[in-house]
Amino acid sequence: MADMDYTAAQDAELVQASRQGDMVAFEQLVVRHRDKIYARAYSMMRNEEEAVDLSQEAWVKGWQRLVQFQGESSFTTWMTRIVINLCLDQLRKRKRQRAESIEAMEEESGGVERQMPVVMVNPTERLERAELRVRIDEALGKLSEAHRTVLVLHEFEHMEYKNIAKTMKCSIGTVMSRLFYARRKMAVLLQDLKTSE
Amino acid sequence: MKQDLQLKLQAYLDGELPSGEAQAVTDWLAQDSAASDLLVELTNTRAALVSHESDIKVPDSREFYWSKIRRQIEREEQVAPAIKSISMMERLRRVLVPAGTVAAMMLGVMVIQQQLGQGGFAALEADGTHEDSEAFTYRDYESGTTLVWLSYPAENEFADTDTDDTLEFN
Repeated sequence: MADMDYTAAQDAELVQASRQGDMVAFEQLVVRHRDKIYARAYSMMRNEEEAVDLSQEAWVKGWQRLVQFQGESSFTTWMTRIVINLCLDQLRKRKRQRAESIEAMEEESGGVERQMPVVMVNPTERLERAELRVRIDEALGKLSEAHRTVLVLHEFEHMEYKNIAKTMKCSIGTVMSRLFYARRKMAVLLQDLKTSE
Repeated sequence: MKQDLQLKLQAYLDGELPSGEAQAVTDWLAQDSAASDLLVELTNTRAALVSHESDIKVPDSREFYWSKIRRQIEREEQVAPAIKSISMMERLRRVLVPAGTVAAMMLGVMVIQQQLGQGGFAALEADGTHEDSEAFTYRDYESGTTLVWLSYPAENEFADTDTDDTLEFN
């Protein structure tokens, strides 16, 4: 283990070393993938501090559950699932605290987006990368938690409808309608941001 | 456009339709401009999101971010063995206390029987049972006296340790 070149080692080697208690190897995994895990938490939570805490908690759980990692998916995919589940738990807690219904939010906003005229001009065309990021960030922040979560799982995590349904404990039909409304609302929000300049 | 058609169009975009249905949507798109416009909007939105997350970075320094993770791992690893050792002590206590009580009672019975045998009293009886391992009864039929010893300190949640530990009935 002392001979390992941590920076050059493959993820699988670092995982193997971490399983044997090598914390330096695990630190290397954190260094490599922390941005991705944090980004997923931030996209779902929309709060920097909460995203940092949840992503760090995910790493702690990752360390504790390394024996369960079978290598069927990549290490980052496995870690991403952990952070997604932590975020969903946190969102459910938040929902209970607010005593609000995600389903009710969908009903409130979903019907409106369905009726909106189609946005024909690509609202992100000719935008600088940084500017595009700010706009999308702002638009994502205006989505309900339920809509944003489906969008994040589908667009960023590339999860299929059935897997999103399983993760969010809802039907495939609900996933499809939430995703549709989320996309339509994003299109409208991005257009609004462009026209309000 | 009906909602089921909108969702079908989206499933087509996401590659979630069976090939037969996908072909039907392709044919529909060729004839329906509203459907093809909606597909363009959905495609644009999806494309806008593609590279979004790659720009999001952890706001803390590498060292600071990792140090909190490491501390938490170490803290939880210290707590886990402590819980294990407590539970082992608890398990031992649960086995040893009743066993010790029964052994003490048996010893008491033997001592009393020995003393009674030496004194020649025939109408005396000492009784300790496993079912009620915290009580020991001594009866003198001639004088009509019964003594009950209760273990002290008491081992069960209902016991009141302030009360006398011997009761006498005549």
